[in-house]
Amino acid sequence: MIQFRPLLETLLAGQFICPVSAPEHYKKLQDIAIREAIDDYLQPLNRRVASSDDESVYFLAYRDIDNNERDLLKQQLSVVMSSLLPLLEWLTYVQEVQGSDGALSAGDTLKLQELILKTEDNPSLRQRLQALATDKFFNSQADSVDAQARQIAKRLVEHGYLLQPHKERLYFQVTGKIDYLIELVRFIKDEENIPLSEEQVQEDLF
Amino acid sequence: MANDFSDKHHVGSLYEVGVERLALVGKHAKALMQGYLQGEVEQEALSEQAARKLIAARVLYQPDDSLGYKLRQPVTQLIAAMVTDENRRQINADVADKLTQIKARVESFREAQRGGDYVKAELQLQLIHETVHDLTGQFEEAIHSLWHRLNSNFGFVSSLADKIRENSRAQGQIQRLIAGLALVDFNELIEFAEGHAGLRKLLVTKLQVQLNGHHGSLLEVQKRLVELMGRFREQQARSLLVMNMASFLRQHPNFMVGDYSYRSQVPRLVNQAPAMPIAAAVSLDQRAQQPLVVSLVQQLYKELQLKASVQQATSNSEQVSVQQKDQEVEARQQQLKQDTEHFFLAALDSPTPCSALDYLVEQQLEWPPEAWLFQVIGEYNSLPRAQQQLFRFQREEAKAHVFNELMIIHDITLAYVAEPARQRSA
Repeated sequence: MIQFRPLLETLLAGQFICPVSAPEHYKKLQDIAIREAIDDYLQPLNRRVASSDDESVYFLAYRDIDNNERDLLKQQLSVVMSSLLPLLEWLTYVQEVQGSDGALSAGDTLKLQELILKTEDNPSLRQRLQALATDKFFNSQADSVDAQARQIAKRLVEHGYLLQPHKERLYFQVTGKIDYLIELVRFIKDEENIPLSEEQVQEDLF
Repeated sequence: MANDFSDKHHVGSLYEVGVERLALVGKHAKALMQGYLQGEVEQEALSEQAARKLIAARVLYQPDDSLGYKLRQPVTQLIAAMVTDENRRQINADVADKLTQIKARVESFREAQRGGDYVKAELQLQLIHETVHDLTGQFEEAIHSLWHRLNSNFGFVSSLADKIRENSRAQGQIQRLIAGLALVDFNELIEFAEGHAGLRKLLVTKLQVQLNGHHGSLLEVQKRLVELMGRFREQQARSLLVMNMASFLRQHPNFMVGDYSYRSQVPRLVNQAPAMPIAAAVSLDQRAQQPLVVSLVQQLYKELQLKASVQQATSNSEQVSVQQKDQEVEARQQQLKQDTEHFFLAALDSPTPCSALDYLVEQQLEWPPEAWLFQVIGEYNSLPRAQQQLFRFQREEAKAHVFNELMIIHDITLAYVAEPARQRSA
């Protein structure tokens, strides 16, 4: 097990492992034998390796679920839910700035400087970024577009949705955790029977 | 119709007319291309005579006297195929007509053979070759266009919705092409070629190989198009989901999800275990590790002590060191100024012009050359005008780069001028 120590530490720290965030760990976890060995090792900690439906991300799940675990999972979900709207708003904001058709997904790159430049030139985007930045989740008190965008990116890196390969360079990679989030959104939509029309809704933002 | 073509004279004039008209297209290429892109050629772009010729050549037509000229469809198609403009390129899936044409020509060929008209038979055979070539070329062209669209990810349209529409249009084309291929009845073709080796080779063996190849390619393109369509739809669904969920949550700020974690079967996605702190501490119960612990504690003490003393020292000496620093800087500046003055004096004494950099090296001064030159220029500029005239001040400079007009000073030479007044008048 000693050779898997970095991998185990990453998993136990509650992080998601995808081809972007940790390609080597991800490759190991694709091997079912390694996954089983890790599962055995984690058994006393009541944890096992879980994955999203398409196995694009791995993370740790509880093996047996009792009341204590249920409470913790509920807490965790409520944290995710409180960050859901700002995250989705951020995704639509980026999509609009980039003028692209699809929402960001794992592996996409994000050039912050480009986002900042385009936002500065557009009052409606500036307003959207401002509203996003002051949200509790992103929690920016800054006034400038530059500082707001940086703070948002920083928080997204902290939460594992983005990866910053070079500390001093403002370019980011989208991790598999975004895909997990979208999967969760789809799950919630189905579970709660949320009537989301198939057609694009008219954006009545501000 | 076949009789027309057998006329040698006619073929000759066809050649001439064709060459003349192709040259005409070439001559007006710019105006025609502008017409292709803008939908019409402006009347001013062509002389009346040129326009008349192009209309006679069936390259252009004028739907209305008051409007500009438009390109005829075959010309537009030719350009679209030449520049692979997938927005305009059309696919022709009409196989039935080609097959009828082949049949008619085979009959005409047989007649000519029976009648002993070998020239005509030869010409018909050539026409059959061409028709078969057209038939396979039509598929080749279509397949090329389809691959091109596929490989460029339908990049010629911008929005995802348009890409999806273009993709389904391409799939429709493939279906028509495959249906067209099915119209080719090889039993019939074998009958046509009965008793003629050349025809059999052309209509049966070669055509079959080619059409089989096309069929395979079409199926491959179709498979890829369906895959791509799946990706497009997924992308579209994803972006719709994000947008619609965001607007739902905006409209329902108090929305709560169910208690998923209290279900008998906790959903897979929700079961994500929180982080577990991985901490360790020194163990005091194992004698073997004690020396390690002792050394760690000692080291820690040293570090703490050092930190404390440094902190104290810095707080005391901060004020002092700032002043000291200022003094140091000032002294150095004074020294630099003095050295420069010495250089000016040396220039006064020297019979030949003095180089500032040479002086720096000769006197073994420690100043960086750049700072030195800067100070020399400053010193010169601060001299009173009368004194400035005692010196001939010359910059040795060069452009930073062939394309950069920035002048970089490499050195400065100073020469004493004994009689400044005369120099000025000269």
